[in-house]
Amino acid sequence: MEGWFTRIATNTCLNLIRSAKRRPELTVSDLSEAENNWLEEKLADAAGDLHRSVEHNLIAVDLADRLLEILSPEDRLALTLIDGEDASVKEVAEMTGWSESKVKVRAFRARKRVREAMEKLLATMGRRADLQLATANESKGD
Amino acid sequence: MKDDHIINIIESAPLGSLSESEIMLVRVHVESCPSCRRAYQAAELSAVLIKERTAEAIEPSPFFQTRVMAAWREQQVIEKVPAFWRLWKSAGALVSTLTVTTAALAAFSFLTPSSASLTSQETAVAASPYSAESVVLDRNQGEEQMSYDQVLNTIYVNDDEAR
Repeated sequence: MEGWFTRIATNTCLNLIRSAKRRPELTVSDLSEAENNWLEEKLADAAGDLHRSVEHNLIAVDLADRLLEILSPEDRLALTLIDGEDASVKEVAEMTGWSESKVKVRAFRARKRVREAMEKLLATMGRRADLQLATANESKGD
Repeated sequence: MKDDHIINIIESAPLGSLSESEIMLVRVHVESCPSCRRAYQAAELSAVLIKERTAEAIEPSPFFQTRVMAAWREQQVIEKVPAFWRLWKSAGALVSTLTVTTAALAAFSFLTPSSASLTSQETAVAASPYSAESVVLDRNQGEEQMSYDQVLNTIYVNDDEAR
């Protein structure tokens, strides 16, 4: 009974996400200043600062939403359940009615897409920072 | 190490679920491989963001609850209907059409008169106005010219009948 109800709720969620529009790609120009700062802070502090403010969390949530928007609803569901909620592949298969291999493939594909999008963002940010540094050095030299 | 370096390891499972040996392998590799270092950094940040997202509790709207309940009731109604009836509702039209077509074909093949049941040989003979004798003795010469096929049909059909 519980599994059946979970599946109904999951499918309703999926239908709602499907009906919402999604962005095909995430670029640095889409990010707010706060999101940019969040990423820069995280990059500077690779060890991961556990002391975070509520505002900091909200920025992270918003950034995560933007990052997840590039995925299809099904891929997003698989990734958030497995990587976010620590659900097993079997549990996700039961919730959604998909086969276990389908769940694995979806999670793998989603992880790859998210990682690639993030890598692209970081690369653009890195280039921008280099450019700013070079401009600053030039102005100092003048 | 293969061309994909550590990418397969960091993409095959959540970073948090990697074993000690896998994490060691990744860390040692990223020290000497800049592209993998970037990939690992991006994977770590993505993992942090996804965790942050799911840690945030979302209160479902009443609208969502209504939709779930509606879907649940719909599912219950479907469950109550017998499987055969559901199958018939979806495939009934097709089955009916097939049955009617088969019945019509059967009726046509059994009820039509067998007037056109001549064999091909009989048809050929009936169609030809010449006898074998007249053809061999060439008696009809001068009237109308027979075609080569008509000559062959006339001779061989009569031979077959004799046998």
